[in-house]
Amino acid sequence: MAKRLMPKKQLEGVGLTLTGACVLFVALVVVTLIFMVAQQGLSAFFVDGINFFSFLTGTSWVPSDGVYGALPLIVTSFGVMLLATLFTLPIALGSAIFVVEVQPGFGRRIFQPLVELLMGIPSVVYGLIGLTVVNAAMRAIFGDAAGTGAGILSGGIVLAVMILPTVTTLSIDGLAAVPREYREGSYALGCTRWQTVWHVVLKSAMPSLMTAVILGMTRAFGEALAVQMVIGGVEKVMPAGLLSPAATLTTALTSGFSNATTGSVQYHALWALGLLLMAMSLLFILIIHLIGAKGAKNRG
Amino acid sequence: MSDSLSRRSFLSLAGGTAVALAGLGLVGCGGSSSSDASASDSSAKTLSGTVNCSGATSFQPLVEAAAKKFEDENPDVTIAITGGGSGQGLSDVRDGKAQIGRSDVFAEEKLDASDAQALTDNTVCVVGMGPIVNSNVDVDDLTTEQLKGIFTGQITDWSEVGGTAGKIQVIERKAGSGTRATFEAAVLGGDKAPDSFAPVAEEDSSGTVVEKIQQTEGAISYLAFSYFDDTKFKALKVDGVEATADNVCNGTFKIWAYEHMYTKDADEVTQAFIDYMMSDEVQGSMVEEQGFIPASDMKVKKDASGAITNA
Repeated sequence: MAKRLMPKKQLEGVGLTLTGACVLFVALVVVTLIFMVAQQGLSAFFVDGINFFSFLTGTSWVPSDGVYGALPLIVTSFGVMLLATLFTLPIALGSAIFVVEVQPGFGRRIFQPLVELLMGIPSVVYGLIGLTVVNAAMRAIFGDAAGTGAGILSGGIVLAVMILPTVTTLSIDGLAAVPREYREGSYALGCTRWQTVWHVVLKSAMPSLMTAVILGMTRAFGEALAVQMVIGGVEKVMPAGLLSPAATLTTALTSGFSNATTGSVQYHALWALGLLLMAMSLLFILIIHLIGAKGAKNRG
Repeated sequence: MSDSLSRRSFLSLAGGTAVALAGLGLVGCGGSSSSDASASDSSAKTLSGTVNCSGATSFQPLVEAAAKKFEDENPDVTIAITGGGSGQGLSDVRDGKAQIGRSDVFAEEKLDASDAQALTDNTVCVVGMGPIVNSNVDVDDLTTEQLKGIFTGQITDWSEVGGTAGKIQVIERKAGSGTRATFEAAVLGGDKAPDSFAPVAEEDSSGTVVEKIQQTEGAISYLAFSYFDDTKFKALKVDGVEATADNVCNGTFKIWAYEHMYTKDADEVTQAFIDYMMSDEVQGSMVEEQGFIPASDMKVKKDASGAITNA
């Protein structure tokens, strides 16, 4: 038996201090971040005197003219997020059912590594593909009405591909976590495979599936680079339809910063957008926790 | 035994994490550059130190090329060139974060009057910009008035300006872009596009404009001369005047802007680099190679309010 480096008690102490320091560090980073974004963002309202209500409801965002109405950005952000979820969910759920219930061997060996590969592709690559393929397809299908092909629909499609691996992987995990006994019980009662999947597996995996969807939505909501390349970037008017070029909160932030001087009203307004984004993702995380808590309660 | 082992491996894991964190911190510190000139062993005239230069990306390649030559001649000097846009460049030089701030627009347009006054303006070169269209558009010449109509949404079909009927797809740069500001100042002449008029895209970079103008039937946009490429799209004449460097110099082509390198109480190295930028070595060949126009060639000049006078 190897000699101890130090007395047992001291070892405990060192371990406690080191891990405690790590926890403290993480907590400090989170608090500092929130404080900083809040401070900069709120100064748009309290120092520069932008009306909070008109900031949320104004229908035009032209920072260079001092017009700060974030509604088009908010609407577009939610629009692309919901579109992406709408496109992704059936595909993710379908492939998850196939992989877990129909062909588990194929799923583990081939499909899952494939999906993970998709997850590793940098967003700028998705953006490039979107710029050349999706936008061109929009022009080919809708003609002049699609303009350059950039718009909310293009953004939604690119985001759908981007969040597909997240939602699929988490859905697979969720379905796989349903105990085998549930299925066997269902089969014992004479249910077909379809009935088992629909009424037993999906139902009991519901909390994990919801988490999968919301994590996907969070990613879609926060993605900037790829969306920026395909959405057209028009911030000054409300989007009129799915083909309208528009801008999301994130794209307005990234493209606005290069033109804003530090400390200006425009700069603070951009931070306020950041604050809004952060509040939204906190809300998403809260929902995930609520679902998790409810799921735990349902399972007893 | 297994108990003590797992505890030890736990300890080393925790320790490793802490070391990794500390390492991160160190790297963070090492990355920041110091700008003070360290005394070198040779004569006092040898330049040394670091010059930070941030801001507009439009003429970054020119500055990079010049900086490389300057560094070859002065091995103890480091010129750190970063992007970030005109706004960033101006705030960096104002706040002392950079010795040189590059900008496509006059500092007066972005900063408070007092802040702008504290900066020294070095107009390194001039950039000409012109309207461009998709290669399939059969219009070669537009008047300023027609351009204004198109970019404010009053003219929406190519047949209204003498072309084959087809929707005009207006591609803009982002509000706040130097290229857009220059184009609008020259074409809209102080007027604004109505709030209801929305272009089909507002692009973040000239590169994407090149991409989109090629792909989009009936598209019109504007670019700096340095991006012009006859194989990809068509440059238009404005009021019958071709978009060329010569026409900018003699004042007949009106859409152009200065590329500024702002300094604030420039130190010796910074001033030496600015002087180098203005020297014949850069102005004589490098500026034109990069698609810009030497400021010294200009027969007209512009002030911050956009008024043009004979130089």
